[in-house]
Amino acid sequence: MLLINPEKCTGCLLCVAFCSFRQERAVGPSKARISVLKWEDKGVFIPFTCLQCERPLCLEVCPVGAIARNPKTKAVEIASARCLGCKTCVMACPFGGVAFDSDRGTAVKCDLCQGQPECAKICPTGAIQFIPDDAVAEEKRRQALAKLPSLLGTAFLGRPD
Amino acid sequence: MFKYRGYAGKYLRADLTRGTTTPFDLEAGRCEKWLGGNGWGAEILFSEVPVATDPLAPANKIIFATGPINGTLMPNSGRLECISKSPLTGIYGDSNAGGFFAPEMKFAGWDMFIIEGRADHPVYLMIEDDRVEIRDARHLWGKDTIETEHLIQAENGDDQIKVACIGPAGENQVRFACIQVTPQRSLGRGGLGAVMGSKNLKAIAVRGHGTVPIAQPERFYDIAVKCHEGIRANAIYPAVSRYGTPGIVSLMNKIGRFPTRNFQSGHYEKADNINAETLREGYFVKDIACYACPIACDKIYRVREGEFAGTTVRSFEYETLGGYGASIDNDDLPSIMKATDRTDRLGMDVISAGRAISFAYELWEKGILTSEDTDGLDLTWGNYHSMLELIEKIARRDGFGATLAEGVRRAAAIIGKGSDYYAMHVKGQEIAAQDGRAQQSMGLAHATSNRGADHLKAFPTIDETGYPDEARRRYGERYLPEIADPHANKHKAFLVKDGEELGAVVDSSGNCKSGGTFVLAQIYWDEMAEAISAATGMEVDAAALKRIGERIYNLQRAYNVLHGISRLDDTLPKRLLTEPSPSMSAKGQVCRLEPMLAEYYELRGWDESGCPSEAKLLELGLEDAASRLKAAGKFASARRE
Repeated sequence: MLLINPEKCTGCLLCVAFCSFRQERAVGPSKARISVLKWEDKGVFIPFTCLQCERPLCLEVCPVGAIARNPKTKAVEIASARCLGCKTCVMACPFGGVAFDSDRGTAVKCDLCQGQPECAKICPTGAIQFIPDDAVAEEKRRQALAKLPSLLGTAFLGRPD
Repeated sequence: MFKYRGYAGKYLRADLTRGTTTPFDLEAGRCEKWLGGNGWGAEILFSEVPVATDPLAPANKIIFATGPINGTLMPNSGRLECISKSPLTGIYGDSNAGGFFAPEMKFAGWDMFIIEGRADHPVYLMIEDDRVEIRDARHLWGKDTIETEHLIQAENGDDQIKVACIGPAGENQVRFACIQVTPQRSLGRGGLGAVMGSKNLKAIAVRGHGTVPIAQPERFYDIAVKCHEGIRANAIYPAVSRYGTPGIVSLMNKIGRFPTRNFQSGHYEKADNINAETLREGYFVKDIACYACPIACDKIYRVREGEFAGTTVRSFEYETLGGYGASIDNDDLPSIMKATDRTDRLGMDVISAGRAISFAYELWEKGILTSEDTDGLDLTWGNYHSMLELIEKIARRDGFGATLAEGVRRAAAIIGKGSDYYAMHVKGQEIAAQDGRAQQSMGLAHATSNRGADHLKAFPTIDETGYPDEARRRYGERYLPEIADPHANKHKAFLVKDGEELGAVVDSSGNCKSGGTFVLAQIYWDEMAEAISAATGMEVDAAALKRIGERIYNLQRAYNVLHGISRLDDTLPKRLLTEPSPSMSAKGQVCRLEPMLAEYYELRGWDESGCPSEAKLLELGLEDAASRLKAAGKFASARRE
């Protein structure tokens, strides 16, 4: 899954640029499957995209079965040739994970780039990481603990960053 | 569809006097000959703004331009170029800012906005994709730059609108007023904010939902990723990322290149109190980046306690620490942050404002100014309350502030009494926190820059503290060891010329000179050529790009020569030429400008007065420039007759 750590996000939009390029061979946030939500004043930036739910509502509501899970990558994908453009999936997703591309007339979403997501590859700070679902908890624990030395003193895990 | 990808394919002309906005198809020839941003602006200024035009008159034009790389995958491809005749120098002027405005222009489908005339009341331009409107801005007049941005976003119900706007200083036509660009980046130099103010143009707002097309996607992806990887593998990447430009405070201080007390010295004895480590430890909040930048040299800093508690700044740079710190002997960081916040909100160039203030402080020390001249302010070194007061007074042209608002060259003429010796400027533009005595190439760069004193046109970094490896990678063994020696004069003409031309190309491409080109030196001619070729489908190699860079630089120079600029203006303040530096490894050094300048003219194919030769102009395809210089009697042959 894509593990997102907003604290590390600098708001550079490289994830957005590379995502749109991968999907469209052109660059533009409106065509990206990932957004960086920005609160510029506070310096808060949150990259956000499809969470690849285990029980995807988009998949369940699609009337023509155009949405399916890719068994290899576990990504929930839209077969655009079959998509009616009815937008039911867009409405069903509680997170805004599915978008509607009015130029194409189909729903679009993150497909994890066939298992090698461009956003995670290009992210310069590690704010977006692509790691196996089962390893997420440990990675988060690692990140949480990495902050502790500054509280506990330097003897614990070596010099704090 | 436009012949080349990478570009949006159209530009806008707005005439504020007539209230008209007209789209034009981008011309392929304009791209082939001038590439983009900096080149387009120079050509338009040269062709459309006559020598007699006052920079603050309606007939002056202000151009906001992108390049073919803006809004793509290339590292730091978010720079915006702005070009106009400068009210500070009276000659060619340009400025360049980071942020997200330029990519948004491209996403909205525009390569360039050309604005002329003067509205009869304050207006702003609202551009959303194809829709262009001139809107009433009377309710925004008088608002600071941050308020203006927020109000425009709020009244249009979209906080992703990108805004370029002026503050009160621009409205009051302070000659070094800047234009602030979302999110609080600055088109700082040259007083282009005063040009907007003179046009009653409060802001330009842009929002786009389209894409930037790429000619050869696989090839472009490869060069972009290569440049990203190169930047991130660079040995100084972690330090530049962590500290941004304040990181060089200690470094410059060590080599006597950190102007202190208005260039009396190049070493600030209290620099440790305002250096990057102190800043990071006491005030750091967050790393923030411009579009597509892996470095994130920008930071948010906040003052948490004391008199200035709550002050939050971004784009807080080395130059600010120089101008509002060392240059007036002020080591109180919170006051420097407060001064920066006020300057950004009021909309002024921190470099020129800082230098105008340090100029006044030195005149106070020398007894040329007294409290009768300064509206009662005490300008003793280190008095930051007076500095904060002066910033307000300059922006509002209030009392003594009105004198400094003219820039140091004009202020010295108003004050008289030998004050011009302390006016640290070239061609009317104030010198940044870069002492040319400690780095000879920097002295030459300031003297030759087409927009007046400036460290960023040639951006000489190879010899700053000595980067022989990068010198070797770029130029081979030929120029070593001198080219990497800050105190040597040999080969510096070459270094400056190469930098000016590379800079002109980078500023025309939409890329960042600081990011990948000169600081984390990763993108040089070959990489630039590969990226532009792959993005646009307009095949250029390094030689073709160099020619474009040389063409742009010569056209700007020709424009300046028509405005009366000659060798007499390609100089530095006497202090840097005659007063030996008292500081560190630069101790005893003056800037030995003359031999470098002579070599520079020769390399450029300019005559001894600094006028481009007819042959050079024709070689570069600048027939118009050649005929106008000839008609004006500027060529050496005409002068001898």
